[in-house]
Amino acid sequence: MTTTLFHTEGLTKNFGGLTAVDKLNFQIREKEIVGLIGPNGAGKTTVFNLISGMFYPDEGRIFMEEKEITRIKPHARSLMGIGRTFQIVRPFDGMSVLENVMVPVLSRNRDTRRAERLATDVLQDTGLLHLAHADPKSITVAQRKRLEIARALATAPRLLLLDEVLAGLNPVEVEEALPLIRQIRDKGITVFMIEHVMAALMSVSERVLVMDEGKLVASGTPKEVTENPRVIEAYLGEEEAPGAEG
Amino acid sequence: MVDLIQVAVSGILLGGIYALLSVGLTLIFGVVRIINFAHGELLMIGMYLSYLIFVSIGLNPYYSVILVAPALFVIGVIIQRLVIQPIQEASAMMKVFATCGLFIVLQNLALMIFRGDYRTIQMDISMAALNISGVSISIPRLVAFAAAVVIFGVLYLMLKHTYVGKALRAVAENRSMAQLMGIRVQRLNMLAFGLGSALTGIAGAFLSPFTSVFPTIGGTYTLVAFVIVVLGGLGNMVGAFLGGLFIGLIESFSGTYISSALKEATYFVIFILILLVRPQGLFGMGKGTEEVGLK
Amino acid sequence: MKRFLSLMLLLFLLFIPLFVESPFTLHMLILIFFYIALSVAWNILSLSGNVSLGHCAFFGLAAYTSAILVIKLGVLPWFGLPAGIGMALLGATAMSLPMLRLRGPMFSLATIAFGEVLRQVAVTWRSLTAGSEGLTIPFETGWLVLQFPTKVPFYYIFLVLAAVSTFISYRIYYSAVGYHLRAAAADAEAAQSLGINTSRVQMIALYWSAGITGALGVFFTQYVYMIEPEWAFSMMLFSVQPVLNGIIGGIGTVFGPVLGAILMTPLGEYLRSYLGTLHQGFNFFVYGLILIGVVMAAPKGIFPALVPFLKAKGWMQNRRSETDVSSSSFRR
Repeated sequence: MTTTLFHTEGLTKNFGGLTAVDKLNFQIREKEIVGLIGPNGAGKTTVFNLISGMFYPDEGRIFMEEKEITRIKPHARSLMGIGRTFQIVRPFDGMSVLENVMVPVLSRNRDTRRAERLATDVLQDTGLLHLAHADPKSITVAQRKRLEIARALATAPRLLLLDEVLAGLNPVEVEEALPLIRQIRDKGITVFMIEHVMAALMSVSERVLVMDEGKLVASGTPKEVTENPRVIEAYLGEEEAPGAEG
Repeated sequence: MVDLIQVAVSGILLGGIYALLSVGLTLIFGVVRIINFAHGELLMIGMYLSYLIFVSIGLNPYYSVILVAPALFVIGVIIQRLVIQPIQEASAMMKVFATCGLFIVLQNLALMIFRGDYRTIQMDISMAALNISGVSISIPRLVAFAAAVVIFGVLYLMLKHTYVGKALRAVAENRSMAQLMGIRVQRLNMLAFGLGSALTGIAGAFLSPFTSVFPTIGGTYTLVAFVIVVLGGLGNMVGAFLGGLFIGLIESFSGTYISSALKEATYFVIFILILLVRPQGLFGMGKGTEEVGLK
Repeated sequence: MKRFLSLMLLLFLLFIPLFVESPFTLHMLILIFFYIALSVAWNILSLSGNVSLGHCAFFGLAAYTSAILVIKLGVLPWFGLPAGIGMALLGATAMSLPMLRLRGPMFSLATIAFGEVLRQVAVTWRSLTAGSEGLTIPFETGWLVLQFPTKVPFYYIFLVLAAVSTFISYRIYYSAVGYHLRAAAADAEAAQSLGINTSRVQMIALYWSAGITGALGVFFTQYVYMIEPEWAFSMMLFSVQPVLNGIIGGIGTVFGPVLGAILMTPLGEYLRSYLGTLHQGFNFFVYGLILIGVVMAAPKGIFPALVPFLKAKGWMQNRRSETDVSSSSFRR
């Protein structure tokens, strides 16, 4: 019996005159892999930003493990178990790959030597160990995306928000990334991911939420969602309509 | 009551000059995107030039501004080309150091040339004033104010309606896009810096009849300029103008009712207050402020 | 091998006053130690990406607090020390307001203004500070009153201060706080999303930086036994100089400012005593040129720029050394 890890009530965010997120209600259960899709501008990244605390909603509430976190600061949310990656990766300039991963470990573990060991373990799990002392600027995009994930993993999250981690990867790299995502879930971390690489998302998600113009328009298994006429309508004209690539 | 009006009038007239100073700064900032710690030194140079012209050929600053403005324009272009442009891509930290270095260089250059003494321009009309129902309006200040308004008006129209003006606004709005559209950004940077410096130089010329100049005067005016620009909204030209008037008023009132020795302290307090209460300024910010300014 | 060399260096430094008698040389060494301590302290804050040009505020606040207590209330300077440091920390609290709300250059501007305002206040508040005339500490000798007939005790005092300052910087740099500072400086939002309380770590850096600077203010005032506003709140001496030292030696490293201070202090003194007397302001004029020059030529600092060269010549091994945060870590 899986419990609700995370849910929102009436989540709303406006920017100027634009309602980016409109009275969103959804929940995520433990150890799920949930996908979030929708045409560009649907409000997906805004939802992530609201969850991670980069900004606060205008209306509505957010709950993590039944505790309300609506007004809690980003760093506190991270310590409560919400981890995220950024769409455009943001490694720390001037710090090596290993040091980048040590940073989040150090917010839970003050000892530098221990942190180094734990960070090394994370690098091993994400296949980046051989790049430990490299400069993030010098590694490939796919590797930088892994670093982004590794860093988020190092926060020992309960809920991991992956923001388009597959974007910019070639098909081979995408194939290599999917097992990692499943591995993460198998370790007990719930995954909530935004993706435009449809086939990949559909193959790895158990449940998919669809947003359009700030609202949740569909929710269900990948199969249900791809056959949902409302979803197809939302994507009409968009190249990456779900199911288009099959 | 008359006294109150007197203080207010003096303040607004002074504000006109401050307006020129800060419009110059905000123009440079908007286009070139740099916080120039040496901005006040440009004012200082304007003042010293006016002084030198006055003592050598006796031309009063209201006329010699014709010479001072282009001189400052050229100086501004040189600074942009030699100092600012090479470090365009450097980190913000490095830009701070560079303009700080510039400030130190210019201030100490003045110190070396002119020593520490105060230089004043003594003219008969420095003292001339109109008297309207008990309120004394200093003629030099009135002329300066009128000129400032006219200059600002011309600048505003230029920015709005001429090709060059639109190009400047385009660069301020979105540098890379402007570049893609074929606008020569480097040239416009130089133009903006030159124009901004010229405006500041004019402010200096207008200030010289009733303010003595000394080498360290630049620092105070840099601070004033930034307080005004933040007050009016970084990158916002109209805001800078109005902000200038406002600060002129504040200075007039605080100078009369508090103490003129604590001028800088007053500006600093205002600065902090703005940041705490309304960081986007009274009139809202222009573009590109995230890069260098406020959160 | 490194330990042996360090030990030798330490012994050498300890024994110098035994065979150096020239007060001029001792004074130069004291200045070097002073600037090592000050530059390292300044650098602690710059690790967070906040460039302060107002450290003279901390120096002056502490210096005046202690001096006033000593001169007007007859308090021992050893009690003036905590009072001075406390005052400097108060100043740091005031500076934290702009620090947490302003990015980069605007913050630096605010710090300059802060120092300037305090200088003005010191000049204006005659009853407290005797204004521009300044105050003089009445001459006595002894460790209790922290004044001596020779420079030798101050040599050791400042040697210790330099060592303590560098030690604190080292410990911060290699601790969790150090990593968090560098992360916050590189990308505050990303850092927050990883659980770092960026405001808190910046405050930690600020307080350490200000506190050490304040302590230096108290001790240095005892050394010169005079204080006046232009000096105590001198932007050039106590704000710009550490910055220059840091840039030359390499910002964002523990030992960069040390190197910078060792190189620049004698140069600065030479400039001041020769050029400064020739033409008022000449020495600072040169400072400004150096500042601009270094920024243009070697944005990461002269020492880091030489590193590839040194490595190529085999004079330096490739080791996982302190990574350099200069250009990238200014808070955006």
